[in-house]
Amino acid sequence: MKIQFNNVVPIPLNGIQHSNKSIWGNSFSLLKGEKVMLNASSGKGKTTFTHTLAGIRKDFNGSIRLGEREITSFSPEEWANLRRNHLSFVFQDLQLFPQLTVEENLNLKNDLTDTFATAELKSMLEELEIIDKWSVPCGILSMGQQQRVAIIRAMCQPFDWLFMDEPFSHLDEENTQKALALIARRTKNIGSGFILTTLGENHNFSFDRELNL
Amino acid sequence: MIKKILFNYQNKSQLIIAMIGSFLGFTFLVTSIHYLIRVNEFGEGEEILGNNTMIIQKKINNFSSLKMTKNDFSEREIESIQKENFVEILQPILSNNFDVALQTDSELVPYLRTDVFVQSVDNEFTKIDSAKWKWAPGDEFVPIVLPREFLVMLNTFASAKGIPPISDDLAKSVGFKFTLTSPGKKEFEKVRIVGFTNEVSAILVPETFMKYGNLNFPKGEPAIITQLMLTVKEGLFGEFENYLDKRNLESKENSMIVGKLKSVAGTLFSILIAISVITVFLAGLVLVQYAQLLISRNEYEIRTLLRQGYSPKKVINSILLYFIKVFAVISAASIIAFGLLKYFIDKLLDKGGIQIDSGFTFLSVLAVILAFVIYSIVNYFNAKRGVLKTQ
Repeated sequence: MKIQFNNVVPIPLNGIQHSNKSIWGNSFSLLKGEKVMLNASSGKGKTTFTHTLAGIRKDFNGSIRLGEREITSFSPEEWANLRRNHLSFVFQDLQLFPQLTVEENLNLKNDLTDTFATAELKSMLEELEIIDKWSVPCGILSMGQQQRVAIIRAMCQPFDWLFMDEPFSHLDEENTQKALALIARRTKNIGSGFILTTLGENHNFSFDRELNL
Repeated sequence: MIKKILFNYQNKSQLIIAMIGSFLGFTFLVTSIHYLIRVNEFGEGEEILGNNTMIIQKKINNFSSLKMTKNDFSEREIESIQKENFVEILQPILSNNFDVALQTDSELVPYLRTDVFVQSVDNEFTKIDSAKWKWAPGDEFVPIVLPREFLVMLNTFASAKGIPPISDDLAKSVGFKFTLTSPGKKEFEKVRIVGFTNEVSAILVPETFMKYGNLNFPKGEPAIITQLMLTVKEGLFGEFENYLDKRNLESKENSMIVGKLKSVAGTLFSILIAISVITVFLAGLVLVQYAQLLISRNEYEIRTLLRQGYSPKKVINSILLYFIKVFAVISAASIIAFGLLKYFIDKLLDKGGIQIDSGFTFLSVLAVILAFVIYSIVNYFNAKRGVLKTQ
């Protein structure tokens, strides 16, 4: 699924002059399978970018196309289908259910898409070193542990694109590398791409493309 | 899992209060509708004359006996009564102006012959099938409605002769005949009893038979109208009674009492229905408000489910299903409570000598089902609006 941006400017950023390297106010395409890094400092609109592509924010000028369709033309049910089968997210605020356990949080997504067996889920948790948290409510996990749960949850569905908004902000370098390796393997297996927003750190990963704000 | 996320961590006290309110409203509603129907049915079936049908006549006093006042109705008086608000239908009762005797015509009953007084009323006052309440010269039978007092008298006579008494049903199959006479002329007409009445003391016959008798066996004196039959509009017995008092008219006391009781009870139950509807409405509002509060408290959860790819329809249906279960519990509890209440009320009425049909009325249960459906529909739209707003 190709993503096409045509002179997109979020309405709150309308009065700001954007450079010709910025994604705002310019036109570009993101092709299926590309590994993209969106690099910008705080307050430049990284979360706005992720939320706009997730269909959460609609306050922008210009046009964004997902495949052949204008992003604003999807109905709520079509968005549900997109979020279930084509677009996956790791939000900056993670959006886990704090009262549910790690197992329940993962199954909430996995049961919807029937992607992994329980053993595969546990194997991913083991890889990210949080297997001991399987039955622990997410609300009492540290932010770093919650980030890893949110990353694994984002894997639990088929997708063309994975959008990650500062997903490693609470992880040390070792855990970041483990998480990134898991993401890279999964995206490679299903031939999908991802967009990762960062504050300038490329985590020693060789991205196909770098976008700026 | 959705159920756990949305409903398990909620404070249920407001829901329980709303459920109790709805339960009381539903119970009052089903009970009041049931008893309103039963009150309106009260006394039906035993009487061949229609509901709220009254016979009125002028009060007889000493002056009437001395023929100093008239006890018949003029056309003007009939027209004046006709215009009253409480009158649904009004017709004069025609009386016979010819000699007629009724005699038994069967071996099953002892021979009895007596001069009788016959009257005719329009079929719209009776519950008799209009095809049965007609007569033309040459017909095999004259259909009649017999005063129940007459059957009592016949049974007293039968007992004295050592013959078993005759039931209502048997009386309908026993042969009777009319003898119509005038000087130098006599005619027999077979008779068939089609019903009984407690309200009229004369034998009721179709209007065509009355006209035939008055025309072919006249006594020479013109027929006068001393009684009127009318149907009083539902709930206007008070007005009707005041009118009778004011105009020096009277009606049979027992039918008046039943009519008045039905009118008063009907009004009371109607008020109770109105209160119940208001209660159901208010409790429904509280439930809808609770549902809105639940959606608003769960805004994060609903939004997160939608962002994880859950279909809005699935989330809406989960909320709807939860409330349908709540409404079903309320409806079932109110029907059970109504059943218990009904058992005690029916027993109480029976003890007081008021026998009413002990079955459940379809309409009262339908009212609960209707309230349940309305609650569910309102809740569906409420949930839909709330979920779609939370994107």
